[in-house]
Amino acid sequence: MKHARVLFNGSELDVTVEDSFSETGLLKSKTDGQLINEADVTWLCPVKEPGTIFALGLNYADHAAELAFEPPKEPLVFIKGANTLTGHKQNAYRPDNIEFQHYECELVAVIGKEGKNIAREDAMDYIAGYTVCNDFAIRDYLENYYRPNLRVKSRDSLCPIGPWLIDKEDVGDISNLKLTTHVNGELTQEGTTADIIFDVPFLVEYLSKIMTLKPGDMIATGTPKGLKDMQPGDTVVCEIEKVGALTTYIVSEQVFYGDKY
Amino acid sequence: MSINPIVKGKLVCVALNDSEQFNAMQARFAEAPYNGAPKQPVLYFKPHNTWSTDGAVVEWAQVDGSPAEQMVVGASLAVVFGKECCRVSEAEALDYVKGYTLVHDFSLVEQNYYRPDIKGKCLDTSAPIGAAVVPVADPQSLTVVTSVNGTVVSEMPVSQLVRGVAELISTISYIMTLQPGDVIAVGFPGQRAPVAQGDKVRSVIDGVTELNNTLGQ
Repeated sequence: MKHARVLFNGSELDVTVEDSFSETGLLKSKTDGQLINEADVTWLCPVKEPGTIFALGLNYADHAAELAFEPPKEPLVFIKGANTLTGHKQNAYRPDNIEFQHYECELVAVIGKEGKNIAREDAMDYIAGYTVCNDFAIRDYLENYYRPNLRVKSRDSLCPIGPWLIDKEDVGDISNLKLTTHVNGELTQEGTTADIIFDVPFLVEYLSKIMTLKPGDMIATGTPKGLKDMQPGDTVVCEIEKVGALTTYIVSEQVFYGDKY
Repeated sequence: MSINPIVKGKLVCVALNDSEQFNAMQARFAEAPYNGAPKQPVLYFKPHNTWSTDGAVVEWAQVDGSPAEQMVVGASLAVVFGKECCRVSEAEALDYVKGYTLVHDFSLVEQNYYRPDIKGKCLDTSAPIGAAVVPVADPQSLTVVTSVNGTVVSEMPVSQLVRGVAELISTISYIMTLQPGDVIAVGFPGQRAPVAQGDKVRSVIDGVTELNNTLGQ
């Protein structure tokens, strides 16, 4: 089943995504069963109470090579603030006066059960399901301190996520899912989760050795090669086979912040 | 989600903000992998599994299934936000503050600052946050005194920070919108204090608040 959260008539609503969604755009309220059309909602982050957002750097062999890095021997994990999250078909902004901002299409595993010191063999018991995120980066802001730093990776709106959370049983094997990114309809990134260096069971074991994982925590598993600069006006679609396709509209900093600019 | 009543959303900590440490490390900063001193505040999150309270026992860290050989602690003045704070100037920054408290950052020994220190910093219960949120007119005038088992291990005037409270609030508010219940720990002594199992750690800002914790076994 696919679970989403939307704004409908000014209220946040938990919905499921109807099997006919691709033809009908229908969502079903978990509260009263009412059918709602996608056209009447604003998509929100599908995780109601986001916990810690872990993200992986350099976790695809081909992407590490693209950035001229040796594949890491240990996962490069960083943490993102919940301020970065926004939903499907929402705006994300390009900061003023930068040279290079790129998307990163990533499979996200969402934790469904609290655990610590979880063995790799048991790791999947702690996963509720999956979603897609676009973990944007602004390369101009990289410095060699806690790299990639919060200025690069914890900006408002720069981690769109969704459209929905799909139960893990509905995806099954995640070891060879195709990932693509399209910018304005053009294919710009293509890869497969088969190229992931540290897979989801490894990461659950690794992180839960350090700390307790809790429901709502998320692990964004990194991105394959295929970086491209983004500009206001661009539409970016990050898609992962069997999981979903996440659309984001790039706007300027001024448009995004409006009165607060 | 939080067992601490004060912090609700983000706990942002500022590293390398003690000017004594910052100046002493200039030669190190010039070398690889840093290749230059930081141009921006060096920030890290203490995620929600780390949040804890005044009086709490802080778990002794496990590293690969064995008790850690060493832990360290730093104390920081912490800013608690009272209203949404987005892209504010330094001049207006303090208007968004509900009050001030203390944060203890327990961690493994800081080895380097090149990669995010998840292993060292994200330990369960390793970020106790004070019980009181106290309005203060001039946070730059405060001093954080930390003692371990009754012996003073650091005295850190806030005026010794490379970047002061208002500047940090402004800079961070241009990176991320801060919400009521978000907290910024503005700076720790560069020399973190070693602690052992069972140690009692006490930090005090005279006339404002204090924070007491004990290391677990």
